[in-house]
Amino acid sequence: MTILPWRPFPIMTLTIRQFLVGRAVRIVAALAAVPLLFALVYRINSEWSTVYAFLVDRVFLDVFSPTLLPIMVLILATGALGNEVEDRTLLYLTLKPRTRLRIVLEKFGGILLVAVPTILAGLALAFALASTAPGPRRLIDRGLDQPDLMPVFVAAMVAAFFGIVAFAAIFLAVSLFVPRALLVGIVYAFAWESLLGRFIGGIRLISIRHYVQSIFVSMLDDPDWTIANAFTARAAMVTILVAVVLSIALATWRLGRMQLD
Amino acid sequence: MRDLMVTSPRLRTEPDNSTTRLETTPARVTGDGSERGSLPGLSAGRAATITVESVSKWYGDIVAVSDVSFGVAPGVTALLGPNGAGKSTLLKMVAGLVSPSSGRILVAGHPPRGESADYRRLGLVPEQEEIYPFLTGREFVRLNALLQRLPKPDQATDDAIAMVEMGDAAGRPIGGYSKGMRQRIKVAAALVHDPEVLLLDEPLNGMDPVQRVRLIDLMKRLGERGKTVLVSSHVLVEVERFAESILVIVNGKLAAAGDYRTIRDRIDRHDHVIGILTDDPRRLAAVLVADTAIRSVRFDGPDRVIVETNDVRRCARIVPALARDHGIRLRGLQPADESLTSVFAYLTER
Repeated sequence: MTILPWRPFPIMTLTIRQFLVGRAVRIVAALAAVPLLFALVYRINSEWSTVYAFLVDRVFLDVFSPTLLPIMVLILATGALGNEVEDRTLLYLTLKPRTRLRIVLEKFGGILLVAVPTILAGLALAFALASTAPGPRRLIDRGLDQPDLMPVFVAAMVAAFFGIVAFAAIFLAVSLFVPRALLVGIVYAFAWESLLGRFIGGIRLISIRHYVQSIFVSMLDDPDWTIANAFTARAAMVTILVAVVLSIALATWRLGRMQLD
Repeated sequence: MRDLMVTSPRLRTEPDNSTTRLETTPARVTGDGSERGSLPGLSAGRAATITVESVSKWYGDIVAVSDVSFGVAPGVTALLGPNGAGKSTLLKMVAGLVSPSSGRILVAGHPPRGESADYRRLGLVPEQEEIYPFLTGREFVRLNALLQRLPKPDQATDDAIAMVEMGDAAGRPIGGYSKGMRQRIKVAAALVHDPEVLLLDEPLNGMDPVQRVRLIDLMKRLGERGKTVLVSSHVLVEVERFAESILVIVNGKLAAAGDYRTIRDRIDRHDHVIGILTDDPRRLAAVLVADTAIRSVRFDGPDRVIVETNDVRRCARIVPALARDHGIRLRGLQPADESLTSVFAYLTER
């Protein structure tokens, strides 16, 4: 597919083109399909859990938000400017009458335009497939209705969107400070977001995962499903937006001071 | 004739480390932001578009550029020096990609790492080959036109591509380009906004002879149009064909600056060592050794002759002529690296 540099946002369209011709999108698409795989397994045997509990607990809280989401966004976000630095093509962007903020914002926009549809599509398809599972026979035999899945779907989509935005901005900034940002990011995603953030309370409060899950459970508004020290959805969204603004500012500052040897 | 700064009284030997450097006097800023004065490389009264004052650049313990000062006026100026002399670092500092560790650089009166709007007046052709391989040549040039916010990017793209005669290949992905084609498309991208200052880092590398002639003609035309064109090269004889003035960089220091012919005469007086690749080295050696310009001939491997000459220009003329007359096939002729280094080092000698 050919996307010519689009006049209003040439760097953003260039970034999308870079993603589409590279391996990053294919890897992210494969990872985005992992919840779908989970849903397929669940569809084959749904005796062990209700659809509701499967989607809330197993898919979103256990797998998607702590592990898959940061890894998927990491792959795209560290490549957007990080690859330009490693490939030594960044000078073609910086030696132009464009402010550093503009360059960072267009790169950020490019990441979002690829990450949001790819990641959310995987999640949506997983929800769609899992929702066709019958669930445990004991519930069916007792004539109990499954809870409405739409609130779970909406909460998951909104929380995932905010997670993508937050991780994209943070990893974009990190890629300008750390030479091997992808490796560092993978360690961060597994060690910080996935393991430590899950068990150590202090870390939890400075973990994007916690804010994403706060948005999710807050929007779900189900007393059976909550997380420790959860923020309100509004507070979590505001915190994420502040983190995004700070990350963009940091990336802009760094880009203006980089030595492009 | 322009000033030859290397032979002027400015050259003095540092007592502590026996290196030489050029003293500079303060430049005078004119109303248009350019500078006039007696910076090395500038003829009296000429305005400098690029001013480099006491610039040094070091990376940890390694000094890449040491206390270099010069001015560059409109026209074509060559930045000449052996590989690793600091030419690329200097060009990167002039372009604003790298900041100097000390000293000051002005391009058209503005610091190159200042306002991004100043990049409208600057074009850079970097030495590196990396370009977005998935873009076609036309898309790459157009991308540069868009990033420069040109009012008619498509027209500017067509004009720039025509300037480097890449029209036929412009629709192909850059990933499939030869090195010479990449160089030309980079030149087109750097020229698309018609910059006042054009910096080219070893632009003739990888180009075939025809492409070289065309790019040299283009650079000369740009110089004649009043553009400031600063071109780095490590090839002495190449520079003669396009540069009006030369800045010679050796070991990160300015060794000489001024008119090409005067520096060339000085260079030519020094012995040169030239490596010649041929199918018949023994017969070629026998033919060459009789010429007065050849001081010695030796063999270096099965197909290479090393010639030492005290008249490099005559040598460059007679070798192909003698080879042709005697039916000997030449496959390459270039200065040996040690010769190049010694020639540049010679310039810094008293």
